[in-house]
Amino acid sequence: MAAINLSVRGAAKAASPATLQRTGSQAVLRTLTGLAALASFAIIFLMLFFLIAYAYPAIRFNGIAFFTSPIWNIGNQYGSATVSRAGFTAEAGAAFGALVFIFGSALTALLTMVVAVPLSLMVALSLVYRIPRMIRPLANALVELMAGVPSVVYGLWGMVVLVPWIGGALAPWVTTHLGFIPFLGGSAGSGNGLAASVFILSLMVIPIMVATTRDVILAQSNSLFEASMALGSTSWQAMVRAVLPSVRKGIVASVLLAFGRALGETMAVLMVCGAAINSFPQNVFSPVNTIAAVIVSQLESALTDASGMAQRSLAELACVLFIITLLVNVIARGIMRGADRREGGHA
Amino acid sequence: MRKTLALTLAALLLVSVSGRALAATDILETGSTLLYPLMNLWVAAYQQAHGDVQITTQGTGSGTGISQAISGVAQIGASDAYMADAQMKNSPMLNIPLAISAQQINYNVPGLNDVHLNLSGPVLAGIYSGQIQYWDDAKIKDINRRYGSKLPHLQIVPIHRSDGSGDTFIFSQYLTKSTPSWAGGPGYGTTISWPSVSTAVGATGNPGMVQTCQNTKGGIAYIGVSFLNQTDKAGLGYAALENRSGKFVLPTATTIGAAARSLDAQTPSDERISLIFAPGAESYPIINYEYAIVNPKQSDGAKASALKAFLNWSLERSGGQSARFLDAVHFLPLPSSIVAKSKAQIEKIQ
Repeated sequence: MAAINLSVRGAAKAASPATLQRTGSQAVLRTLTGLAALASFAIIFLMLFFLIAYAYPAIRFNGIAFFTSPIWNIGNQYGSATVSRAGFTAEAGAAFGALVFIFGSALTALLTMVVAVPLSLMVALSLVYRIPRMIRPLANALVELMAGVPSVVYGLWGMVVLVPWIGGALAPWVTTHLGFIPFLGGSAGSGNGLAASVFILSLMVIPIMVATTRDVILAQSNSLFEASMALGSTSWQAMVRAVLPSVRKGIVASVLLAFGRALGETMAVLMVCGAAINSFPQNVFSPVNTIAAVIVSQLESALTDASGMAQRSLAELACVLFIITLLVNVIARGIMRGADRREGGHA
Repeated sequence: MRKTLALTLAALLLVSVSGRALAATDILETGSTLLYPLMNLWVAAYQQAHGDVQITTQGTGSGTGISQAISGVAQIGASDAYMADAQMKNSPMLNIPLAISAQQINYNVPGLNDVHLNLSGPVLAGIYSGQIQYWDDAKIKDINRRYGSKLPHLQIVPIHRSDGSGDTFIFSQYLTKSTPSWAGGPGYGTTISWPSVSTAVGATGNPGMVQTCQNTKGGIAYIGVSFLNQTDKAGLGYAALENRSGKFVLPTATTIGAAARSLDAQTPSDERISLIFAPGAESYPIINYEYAIVNPKQSDGAKASALKAFLNWSLERSGGQSARFLDAVHFLPLPSSIVAKSKAQIEKIQ
């Protein structure tokens, strides 16, 4: 506060009343925005700090097995025996291995990107260059509408429409006729599983990626496309060789945004993933589970764990998700800085 | 003028609505999806005569019921499972039986959904641990001689609850009490560590179990008896289960009642007891008390007395225990000795 007063007083000596007012309000604004910027850092670090502090007994109890073991067992809640490791106690039989969930999160998010990135780029390009001007506003509105639909709505649709269709029609057909291809053969399952999760996640992230990619393409002046066409390239070549490379940074940013969304999505995935426990997917129709989904589905039973270790292990899972998301962001910034350097002053 | 009138009317309406809201005592019931259909029938009837109490019901799973009753979010935590000793030591709660329920084992095997297959604890344990993978497995054929040739070579998809559930509790308790290898392995609880079976599917709530089993050829699921109408409508079959005497029995009023009678004398005063795998040739093996988990110390006196009045009503022969409610969800009324014990527990609510 003292700093503000000083600067205001300092300005008052030289300036007219109008300037004084402006400088004064600027200083206040600067302080407020500075505090807000600081707060966003502080909030993230405090959250991480308290999460880790809360999860600490679980981190010690579980050790490295948390990352290497596929067995998740909150232990015998109705027995009297307990088990202790590293000075911390849980119910007898308790073992908290998160490998299935970490693997499931990574697998669903990566496969979602494989499906969604090419589709989104094509949709964005056609929204800018291909779709007739007449219906372009309608198409844009539809994309924005899809991006705004709450995830639980996608989840519900997945549960009542998509899952029965996959379980009843798609999976039996694929496993019978395309079963010779790795990961497409074997049990057709119930429809709940990897395929349904990736489908729903793709539906959710494609509109986001389309909207952001379309905006960065539109922000780029049209001259690149026209110049490329003038040099005799086809419109496909102009889009892929000239336009897309020029907006690489924006695309990377939008892909990572979508990746983060896919990693963290909870309800919609929980409703269609089949909530696998202690087992890895065998084919694309097998049940899976993700970190976010398992935190929700296990939380209530964990809250009744008298030893508290199940809750703390879920907190450890939350830490892992937090750190993965943070890493994705850091890597994204790294890539974008790299792209900056390569593209030099051009970008 | 008209505008002023409209505004005045609106203001009056607001005042009267908020006045009512202030006068009514709010009670939140949450938890067991097995008890949920009955709670809805009860609350609708009770509210008609008691406008001053506003009871909200939610089917969220027994795990949620227990934890939200402990945390104070809900006044009644509905649960198919009684609380464990260790939980009771941390947070002493009342475990008040309200009715007797059962659980059926449903399956979706084309051609056999209109008959009742025989299933036993060891066979179910084999299915849920992945040792029995096809419906024509010798172990299933052995106890189903009549349908031996009709059992298809179809992969079994074991469906379990992914949320904390009293149904998981009573089902896994049946496996624990009937199958030594299960007792030494996964054991029982509202959430258990299911054996690694790559086809196994987790579903949320009893409605999710019905839907997943209906969608899955070869599926098998454990579903509360209050969903019998829905499982029938979904075209699922349900099994006759092997009881302690080695007989295969269907869940009927007779067999559920026989199992309840065989254990009512042993029910302790805190009423936390398993009714699973009860003795007796007629006894159906998966039955349980449906519990209201209640904190004996309520936040205020008005809530406590409204809660006591509702719970006492639910135990009256002319009230909640009457057949017009229980028959609709295939529950049985509590024996009078258990009603007395439940009422004694309700008296402890302050």
